[in-house]
Formats: sequence, structure tokens, C-alpha cells
Amino acid sequence: MIEEKLITKNLEVENLYKIEIYQKYNGYQALKKALLQMTPNQILEEVKKANLRGRGGAGFPAGVKWSFVPKHTNKPKYLCVNADEGEPGTFKDRFIMTNNPHLLIEGIIITCYCVGIHTAYIYIRGEYEHVAQRLEGAVQEAYQNNYLGKNILNTGFSLNLYIHRGAGAYICGEETALLESLEGKRGHPRLKPPFPASVGLYKCPTVINNVETLSNIPVIVLKGGEWFVKKGLPKDGGTRLFSISGSIKNPGIYELPTGTNLKDIIFNYAGGLKEGRELKAVIPGGLSAPILKADEIDIPMDCESIMNINSMLGSSAIIVIDNETPIIHVLKIIVNFYAHESCGQCTPCRNGTWWMKNIVKRIYEGHGKLRDIDNLLRIADNIYGKTLCPMGDAASMAVQAVLEKFREEIENYIQGRK
Amino acid sequence: MIEIKLNGKKHKIKENLTILEAAKQVGVEIPHLCYHPALEPEGSCRMCLVEIKGVPKLQLACSTQVKDGMEIETDNQRVREAREAVLEFLLASHPLDCPICDKAGECKLQDYYYKYGLFEDYFEEEKPKRCKLVRIAPNLILDQERCILCTRCVRFLKEITKTEELGVFNRGNESFISIYEQELIENNYSGNLVDICPVGAITDVDFRFKMRNWFLEKKKTICPICSRGCNINIHFLPNSFPFKKDKRVFRITSESNPKINGFWICNLGRYNYHYIDNDRILIPLKKDRELKEISWKEFYEQVGNKIKVLIQRKREERIGVIVNLSLTNEEYEVLNVFFNQCLVGSEIAVFGRKKGKSDGFLLTEERNPNTKGAKKFGFIEKKIDIKNFFNKKELVILFGNEIIEHYSIQLLSEILSNVKTKILIATTKGTLINLFDYILPSTVVPEKEGSFTNCQGIIQKFKRVLEPLGKSKSELEILTSLAQKSGIWKSFLLERRIS
Repeated sequence: MIEEKLITKNLEVENLYKIEIYQKYNGYQALKKALLQMTPNQILEEVKKANLRGRGGAGFPAGVKWSFVPKHTNKPKYLCVNADEGEPGTFKDRFIMTNNPHLLIEGIIITCYCVGIHTAYIYIRGEYEHVAQRLEGAVQEAYQNNYLGKNILNTGFSLNLYIHRGAGAYICGEETALLESLEGKRGHPRLKPPFPASVGLYKCPTVINNVETLSNIPVIVLKGGEWFVKKGLPKDGGTRLFSISGSIKNPGIYELPTGTNLKDIIFNYAGGLKEGRELKAVIPGGLSAPILKADEIDIPMDCESIMNINSMLGSSAIIVIDNETPIIHVLKIIVNFYAHESCGQCTPCRNGTWWMKNIVKRIYEGHGKLRDIDNLLRIADNIYGKTLCPMGDAASMAVQAVLEKFREEIENYIQGRK
Repeated sequence: MIEIKLNGKKHKIKENLTILEAAKQVGVEIPHLCYHPALEPEGSCRMCLVEIKGVPKLQLACSTQVKDGMEIETDNQRVREAREAVLEFLLASHPLDCPICDKAGECKLQDYYYKYGLFEDYFEEEKPKRCKLVRIAPNLILDQERCILCTRCVRFLKEITKTEELGVFNRGNESFISIYEQELIENNYSGNLVDICPVGAITDVDFRFKMRNWFLEKKKTICPICSRGCNINIHFLPNSFPFKKDKRVFRITSESNPKINGFWICNLGRYNYHYIDNDRILIPLKKDRELKEISWKEFYEQVGNKIKVLIQRKREERIGVIVNLSLTNEEYEVLNVFFNQCLVGSEIAVFGRKKGKSDGFLLTEERNPNTKGAKKFGFIEKKIDIKNFFNKKELVILFGNEIIEHYSIQLLSEILSNVKTKILIATTKGTLINLFDYILPSTVVPEKEGSFTNCQGIIQKFKRVLEPLGKSKSELEILTSLAQKSGIWKSFLLERRIS
């Protein structure tokens, strides 16, 4: 069966990132339909019907998010596109922005028209220098073709789009830290409430969406929400870009319907593990998603199914771990990452991740004690639910899952047994 | 008014309060470190997490608003465990140098640990090492190891002084607070950072290692440095301190008063306490070729007699009084009765400290604490012909040394030389001493009680905080006793009763 591609369609077309090629393949038709034939409300209804859940990690329905923005306000409204893509294992947004930047831009313009926004920012992670350049070129082309700027397509609607490059902090992918960073401040998450939909960028109502989420908007406008839902699951519409990495034959990006079986993705689509390796574990949604054991992967990849087995779909980044990888190594990478990326604002995350890192380092270097495992679990539990932003919970859950599911292996490692 | 349930008890409270504020109003303490009532809530220390019925996660008491019908638990098992977790995290990166820390004894982390920290210790790693001596201002030293990153200091400099000299550098557990490059904090409110730092991270060069704070007694008084009348606390060694001491007062901190100074005082007021213990005139002196001690009684009798004689000769105009602007309202009242009503004809001039520059916040241009109060009793500083004023005067009483800011010592020496009896009532020794016949020790503000009227017209009463040093007496006492010996006692009492 050949699945229909919504985002990676036409990918084989050379130079798709150029506006004339993009337009040749139906590009900006959705924008024309949206601006010339639809009211903002009609678009919002279609997006709601599409059950488009956010692709950044939290999986919040995009249409619902947009409807939280006050309709009548004398403040400007903003759209911030979260292109910080910092979740380890995730590289789908880069893929879209590199190969099909106009799809994202088209989605941005329609979204802004729908919500009544006249200024949008793409916050792109600092390391994506080439991607930012390509995006910049695409934005210039869009301006030249009057898809951006004043009086777009003579409809009276105006929109300015700016690209802002981050400075290399994972936490700036957290939406409120992103706003702080965009305002030129230190990237520290804000207290919620108030939520960005009412008090966001420069204290104005703000929509923050992931790159992939917005890239789905053109096709929803063209084909309708109901059509879109059918490409995925009733409560979780459309396709997803799965970033597959690790010990896998064919790593890369796979666009598949939401709800595709994880086992299928690994063994059929991505060709299974590397030669001679066996599956040991899978991290299903980026590093923050609690690890799954090999016998847990017969599961549909959608927000709810993964949540039911106490993990998360996150950014749909699948990291495949084989039997030759010691789990203590995985644990060390996890705790080092969170200790390194903790912004340091709130106590439990700042000190807890640092503490866990030190204990795991000690275990890794052969000085671990059996009681360290319980202490790590205790620390993780002490972080959980007490931090200012979701990063503490992510660190906590990722560590807890590894310890609980591979306790025996770690105990053996501590005691010097293979 | 709304009704909330706090730890099972119902309370009626005002709307628009945070849980922390509401709890405080009804006498329930919720521990907190980063929260400060004058600053925007930061929510970073996580000490104030409480449980709200129906909300799955623990919520911040410092930033969550109370709502009608809200049921809050501030001290159940779950909340206590969360609090212990936060305390444990904080202490994991905090050095245990309490024995040599100036903040010990008044440290919030120490206090909370004492109260909520009786739990098993799991920490086996090495504590992080950080710089323990960073000069962040001429008057302040930062210990980055003790810092718990509550960012009260950063927010104070951002929100209150708007000078932003401090920032957070690096991230995660390697975060630290520091100044930018070598730019020291040079604003007039930097001393407040010591008051608001909940731990011993920011210490005052002036107080560092000088005295354990638990030996000090703390009492409220009014700052006399300008006309704002900021409320301050004087920290002093009480008489019960068993060992030898060179001085009584070791520091001044701010006392909050929302109508006047909020939570803050300026550095001028904070570090201006040496006048209390240093260079004080301790005993009444009389010049008899050289300065010799006399008793107060002798002074009252001798000067009282001189006044009596002048009254008998109807020569009240030969009496000149120079008043400063640092006396209490009660003293101005008595001065008014004494000289304007009982010694009709005597001449009065007013000299306060010269005006300074206002800093646009608390420190006012007017540098006398009771100019408004003095004005109410008719004591207003005016330009006068000083030579003319002293001409033909037989008896001159000078309150305070302020006149030296207005005239040179040579000029004063010249014009005073013709005056027969010259009396100086002052707190500190100065160059003027040599020009006078009687030198009398008066008390400083913390040694008196009375009231000042500040620049906003607010009358602030204050109590005696310290015992008068040596044989010093307040101007009020001196004037009252002098009135008894000057033959004006009856009219003095009568006028006082009337006014």
C-alpha cells in the first residue's frame, strides 16, 4: 500500500524550494483559495474539523489553540513559528524547511489570515544556519510575489514575516522561553497562566505553532478538514513525519498516516535494525518520551495510544536502540542532555538534573552502588510535577522509564556483571 | 470578599490576593525564597508549592490568585514532601559554611531547613565549587556558591532601580549571578540587595565579619538623613552584651512602610550611623580658659540666672537663638513657647543642612528630617544678615553645628567674639567647639522620642531606641530644665498647656 503524502509530496521534484517550481506544482493555490474564497471563520472550522494536533511535542489541537486568541483586541497579535527543533532525534522540521520552505510559508500566511495576525516570526534554532538561509531566500521570493507584505493578492490583508535565529538552547523550544528569547531576553520559561494566546510576545496575544503543524494547513484548506482526518485517525488527523534514527538500516524521514504501527515503521518502512543487531528498546517521540522495551512496540503511533502505555508521541522522533548498546550509556546520554540544557531557572530541574548526572557518571565509571538506583528514582520523582516548565517532567519521566524498565541490567552493571 | 478554605478552616478574605498573601493575612506561613512582595513573582524557587483541591499539580502560592470557594492545603503530606524535595535540591548545591556566614541566624534557607528539613540525607556527590568573593559593588560582595539563584537581586535592579547591573550567566546548575564585565553596581540603593538576599550570597562590606547578628538587637526608628523619613531598623549591641565593645550600632536596615519608603532605604541612610557612636560630645563643658566639665545643674543655674537678669533688665532682644531643622515636633513646640512666648523679643534664626541632589527616588533635595515640622511652629530658614543678627547679643544659644555649612569659621569667630555668653547644644564635636563658652551634649535621633513631619506631611512618631550616650540629653529636656531656672517657669507651663 502506498500512503498518500501531504507534506513530502512532490519531493522528488528538483528545486522545489524555489517559488516558481513550488507554484508549478500547485503551490500557493491554498493561499489563493483561503484569501479569495474563504472567511477566517471558515478556515478555523476546517482546521478544527481536521483534528490537527500539534506536531511539536505536546500534541495540542491547533484549531482549538487558535480559537483561544481574543477576536477583538486593540493589541497586535503575533504568530511565532517554533522551528527550534531541539528535541534529540528530531529532524523533520529541518527537512520541511530545507526541501519545501514555501509550504511552511503558505501555511503561515493562511494561519495569520485566519487568526487576524499581521506579524509573524519564525524562531529557528541557531545551528540551522543553512536552513535559515534557504528560508530567508524563500521569504524574499514570497515578498516579491506579493504573498507577503502589504495588500496580499489585492485582498487588503497584510503580513510581515521575519526569521529569528536562536542561540542554541534547548529550552527555547519551550514556547514561553521562545517568546522571551525572541524579545531579546534570556531564554527562561514564563509562569503560566497567563497563556501566550492572551499574553504572549510583547505581552500581546500570540499563536505558537510548530513547523510541521503549519505545513499541514495548505492541504487542509485545499481538501477540507474531513478529508484530512481520514488521512489519519478520527481524533488525530493527517500524516506525521517520523524521524527515524539510531541502529536502523534506513534512517531518515518517513511520512506515514498517524496511527501507523511502530513495529511496522521500524521493520517494514525503515528496513529493520542494522545487520546482525536485535531490537532492545525504542524511544518513540524524541528523547523526552519514556523509553519502550522491544516487546512494547506493537502499538499505533498516535498521541493517545502512546500515552496509554505511559510514553508520548512527542515530536514523532523514533530512536532505535539495539542489543549491543549498554542501557547505562543511554541513561548517561539522557541525564547529560538534561543537565546541560536545564535553563537553571527553577530549583528542582536545575539541581535535580545536575545531581542525576553526577550519580549516573559515577555509576558509568564503575563506582555505582545499588542504592543509587533508588536514589535516582527518588530524585526523578522529586523533580516531577514541581518544575516551572515541562522540561523537568520530561527529564524525570525519561530517567524513570529507563531505570524501571532496565533495572536488572543496571544492577548487573553496578555489580560488575555483564 | 470571597471565602476560601485554608487547611480545612474557612476564611473570608479580599479578592485579588495571591494564595501566599491571603495565607499571610490569616496567619498561615507559606515558605518562600524567590517571592518578594515588592517584586514581580518569579516562581523559580518552588518552595511555595501548595495543593489546591481539584487541580492535579501542586500550584505556586506566590503567583496563583485565590478564587471564591478555593480549598487550599499548605501543610499536608504531599506539600511537605514537595517542600522537602526543593530544600534537598537547594542544599545539594549550597555550601555548609554557616559557621562563618554573616547571614547565619537570619538566613531563610537555614530557617526553613530547621523547620522543614528533618529528613534523611541522600547526597553523596561533591558540591559544586564556585567563586566565593566577587566584588559586585564598592559596598557589596557576592558569594556565588551560597547563591540559590532566586534572582531577587536581579529583579530588584531591573524593577526597582531600573539600572540592571546584575544578570544571570551560564545555565543549568552552572548558572551564576554576576555583574557585566567590570561594571560595579554604583546606584544609591545597592545596600538593599543585602536585605533582600534570602541567604548569605550578598554581604555588606561594612558589616562582613564584624558581629554575629544574633547578638544584635533590632529596633525601629526614622532615618534623619533627608526629609523622606524612611523607616529604618537600627541593629545594636544591647547593654547585656557581656564583652567589651567599641560601638553600639553595627548596621542599619530598612523597615517597610508602604506609604513612605516601601521596602527600601538609600545607601546614604544605610551607612550613615557612625554619627551615633563616633565623635560624640559626652559631658557638659564650660570654657574657663580651657574646657572643663560642669554638671547639668550648674549649667542650668548659671545660664538660667543670665536669662533671668536679661528679663529683669527687659533686654530679651539681647538673646539670640539659632535653630537647626533636625529637632522633633515636640522640641519645636517647646522652642516656640520658650523663646517666642516667654522670652518675647528674643531673636531666632534657622539654619539647616544645605540642600543636596534628589536621586529621583527616596532621597530628597531637602536634607533635614523635620523642615515641615519646624515650619509649622514658625521656624523657617531665611537669608539673614548674620553680622547684624549677632550685633549687641549678650546670650546666644546654638542648636547643632549646621551653621558651619553656611558661614566660614573665621567669620563666625569674628562675630561671636563680642557675645558675652555663647552656648552650643550639639551631638558631635566639631570646629565650632572652640568658639563657645558652654558646650552641651544633646542626644541623637535614635536616643530621643518624638515625631518628625516628612516631606509628604506625614507625622511619624518614633521611640527611644538607644540610651543617651554619656551625659547627653535631648533638647526637650534641656529646654524644660532651663525654663525652670530662668524665671519663666510659670508662663512656660501656662503656654505649654494652651498650645
